[in-house]
Amino acid sequence: MSRRSLGRPGLLSLLAGLAALVAILPLAGVVAAALTGETAAIPARDIARYAATSAVLAALVAVATGALGSLAAWLVVMHRFPGRDIFAWALALPLAAPAFAVAYAYADLFDVAGDLRMWMRAALGFDLPFEMRTIPGAAFVLTCAFYPYVYLAMRAAFVNQSAHALEAARALGCTPAHAFLRVAMPLARPALAAGVALAVMETLADYGAVQFLSVQTLTTGVVRAWFVFGSLTSAAQFALPLLGAAALLLWIERWGRGGRGYESANARWRPLPVTPLAGPVGFMATLFCLTLIILGLLLPAAWLVMAFLPVSPEWPRLIEAGANSLTLATAGAVVTVALATALALGAARVPHLARLASLGYATPGAVMAIGLLVPAALVWRLAPGAAQGFGTGLIMLIYAYAARLMAAALEPIDAGLSRVTPSMVQAARSLGRSPAGAAWSVQLPIARGALLTAGLVVFIDILKELPATLILRPFNFDTLAVIADNYARDERLAQAGWPALLIVLIALPAVIWLTRKIAASRPGDPA
Amino acid sequence: MSDPVTLTVQGVSKAYGTRSAVIAADLTLRRGKITCLLGPSGCGKSTLLRLVAGLEVPDSGEIAADGRALSRAGAAVAPEDRGIGLVFQDYALFPHMTALQNVAFGLRGLPASQRRARAQAMLEAVQLGTRGGAWPHALSGGEQQRVALARALARAPQILLLDEPFSGLDAHLKGEVRLSLTEALRAAGATVLVVTHDAREALLMADDLVLMHGGRIIQSGAPRACYLDPVSPDAARLLGEVNLIPGQVRAGLAHTPFGTVPAAGCADGAAVVMVRPEGLRLAEGAGAAAHVAQLRFGGGYHEVQLTADGQRAHAHIAGAAPEAGQTVTVRIDPDLARVFPTKA
Repeated sequence: MSRRSLGRPGLLSLLAGLAALVAILPLAGVVAAALTGETAAIPARDIARYAATSAVLAALVAVATGALGSLAAWLVVMHRFPGRDIFAWALALPLAAPAFAVAYAYADLFDVAGDLRMWMRAALGFDLPFEMRTIPGAAFVLTCAFYPYVYLAMRAAFVNQSAHALEAARALGCTPAHAFLRVAMPLARPALAAGVALAVMETLADYGAVQFLSVQTLTTGVVRAWFVFGSLTSAAQFALPLLGAAALLLWIERWGRGGRGYESANARWRPLPVTPLAGPVGFMATLFCLTLIILGLLLPAAWLVMAFLPVSPEWPRLIEAGANSLTLATAGAVVTVALATALALGAARVPHLARLASLGYATPGAVMAIGLLVPAALVWRLAPGAAQGFGTGLIMLIYAYAARLMAAALEPIDAGLSRVTPSMVQAARSLGRSPAGAAWSVQLPIARGALLTAGLVVFIDILKELPATLILRPFNFDTLAVIADNYARDERLAQAGWPALLIVLIALPAVIWLTRKIAASRPGDPA
Repeated sequence: MSDPVTLTVQGVSKAYGTRSAVIAADLTLRRGKITCLLGPSGCGKSTLLRLVAGLEVPDSGEIAADGRALSRAGAAVAPEDRGIGLVFQDYALFPHMTALQNVAFGLRGLPASQRRARAQAMLEAVQLGTRGGAWPHALSGGEQQRVALARALARAPQILLLDEPFSGLDAHLKGEVRLSLTEALRAAGATVLVVTHDAREALLMADDLVLMHGGRIIQSGAPRACYLDPVSPDAARLLGEVNLIPGQVRAGLAHTPFGTVPAAGCADGAAVVMVRPEGLRLAEGAGAAAHVAQLRFGGGYHEVQLTADGQRAHAHIAGAAPEAGQTVTVRIDPDLARVFPTKA
C-alpha cells in the first residue's frame, strides 16, 4: 500500500520534536561547557558560597510567599469582606511589576540617608534595624514581587474544591475550622507546592533585583563570570547547580500538578461555602489584601512616579528601547507560542519530549543564555563573518526566550486543546482532513483563546526579562529592562524609574486581562 | 449489478500490549443494509469499529472495501482517505461551528454556494432544516446526533459507522431516535455498521446481527435467528435475559426440574438447557411442579421466580399470574429453549 500509514511519525510529531530540541539544546550546552573547556577562573568554594546565598534566599521567599499567598487565597475564596471581588483579580497585579523595579523602590525608600528613614529616626527616636541591601531585604522584595504565583495556584485549588468534601467532614463531626485544616488544606497541598516552586524558580532566575541589592546569588554569578571574567566555563559552572535546582523544582511542580487529579471535576461540583466576615475581622481581611497589593505594586509604582517626575527622561533612548522591547516581546511571543503549539499538538505521540522541554521554564534566563552561547560558538567558528551580525544576535535572543518560556506557554495551550475531544479530531479525519488539517481547522480555532493567553504570558515575561537579554543582545541594542539596569548601575535611579514604569504600564493591561479571565473561571467553564 | 458485499474484514487481530482487544475477527457488510455489532463493554467491538474506520492499524488480518485493500498488518489507509463516515458516541460536533458549518465541514472542493446548499439539504433530510444557525451546545442530544449523522452522510460515504448511537439518550427517547435514525439511514441507502451494547435496540434495528464476546465474533446472522438459535450460552446471554438450567440428556430428550426439551443430536449425559424467561409457561395438564418463590409486577407481564428441585429459574408470565408461595405446573416452550451439552 502506497498510502500514508498511521504508525509513521507525521508532520505534527516532527514539529513537536523540533520544538523540544529548541528547548533542550541550550541545557545540553550548559552541561557541555561546564564539564569541558579551560580550567575554571573561579574556585569551587566561591561557587558554593553563591549557592548558599541562593538557597537561603529561596528558602525565605518560599516560606513568605507560601504563607502570604495561601492566606490571601483562603480569604478571597472562602470569605466575604469589603473589596473581595476586586481583590480576587487585583491580588495578581504585582505580576506586572518587574522585580528589579520593586527593588529600586524599596532600596531608595529605606535608604539609610533617605527621607523616610530620616523622618522615622526623628519620629521614633531610634533607627529601624532594617536594611534592604541584605538577604532578608532581597527576600522581602522578591516576596512582594512573586507572592502572586502562590496566590493564583492556591486560589485555583480552593475554587476547584467542591463543598461536598467539606460537608462530608462536617457530617462526620468536624467543626468548620477542623474541616478546613483536615480536608481543604490537604487537598490544596499539591497546589501550594506548585505555586511555591514557581516563586522559587523566579527567585533563582532573578538578576536585576538581587544584583541591585548586592546579594550575590548563582544567577548574578553566571552573569558576572561572563561579563567580568569572560569565561564561558565559569559561567556554566555557576549555572550547573541552578540547572539541578531547576530539575528538582520542576519535579516538585509536576508532582503538585499531578495531585490535581483528586480535585473533583464532576458535575456534582458545588462551590465552597462563603463565610461573611463582618466588622473588625472583615476590615482586617481587607487591610491584609490591600497591603499585599500596595507592597507589591502600588507603593513601588508610586515611588517610581515620585522619583522620576522631577527629572526629564532621555526621550530618544527611552523611545528606542520601548520600541525594541515591544518588538522583541511580540516576536518572542509569536515564536514561543508557535513552538509550544507544535509541542502541544504533537506531544501525545512524544510525551517525554514535552516533559524535557518544560525543564526550560525552570531554568533561569541567564543559564539559558550561557547554554545558547555554546552551540552559537560552534556556528561562529564554522561561519565567522555571516553569523556575527545584528540579526543573529536578535535571533539568539528570541531563541533563548522561546526555550525558556515554551513550557509557560505550553500550559494554557494544553488546557485549551484539552477542550477538543479525541473524537472531534477523529471526526475531522473521517471527514477528509489530514492530521495537520484537523489541527488547523478544528484544534487551533477551538483553542484560540488559549493561544492568546499563552502569548500574553510570554509577552509579559519577555518585557521583564533582564539577564538573558544582557548576555545575548546585539551591541547597542537596548530594551527597557536593560536601560533601567544601566541607569541603576550608574546610580541614576531617578532615570531608571522611567523605563521601569513604562514596563509596568505596558504589562499592566495584559496582566489585568489575564487575571480577570482567571478570576472569572469556574470548573466546567468552556474557558 | 454491484457486489452485494461492500466491506470485508478477514482474520483481523489487534492487541494493546499483552491485552488482545480483537481476535481473528471476520465480518462482512452487505450493501445498503444495517449491521449491528453487539457485545458487552470491553468486548472489543469499539476497537473493531476503529479498525474499520482506520483509526487503528491491525496487527494481522485484512480489511477491504469493494476490493480495495484498506488495512493490513502494520499499514492502513489514513481515515481521511477511506470514504468511510463516522458518527461518534459523543457526536463530536465542532463547538466553534454552527450546525450548518459542521455539516459543510467535510464538503471540500465545492464552491461555497454549493457547499451551503448541500449542507442545508442534508440538514433538511434529518428534519433540522431550520436549525442550521444553531450552535451545538444549543441543540438537544437527539438533535446533536442528527447533525452528526447529516455531517457524516454529507460526503456520501460508501460505509457509515455509528458508535453507540443510543448511549447518550434517555430511555423514553431511544425508540423515537431509533426510528428516525433508521429512517434516515434507509433514505440515504447507506451501508451501515452500528456498534452497541443495547440488545433491544440492536434486535430492532439490524438487518444483520453480529455478536462479539471477549474479542471474538461468536455469531452472526439475522436478528431472529440469533435470538432463537444462539450458538452458545454467551451468545444467548448477549441478546437478553436467559435461564441456564442444568439437566440430563437421555434418548434425545433433555430433562430439567422445570420440564423436558427435545435435544435431537445431543449425546446422552449432562447438559445446560437455555430458556428465555418468556419460554417458561404455566402448563395446563402435564408438566413439572414448581414453587413460586417471588412475584413482581413488570408491566406487560409478571416476573416470577420459580424454584424446583433446588434449581432456580426466572419466568415472564403474561396474563393471569399465580400467587407467591403457590405450587404451579410449568413447561418449557421448545421454540424458546436450546440444549448445550456440558463440556467435559
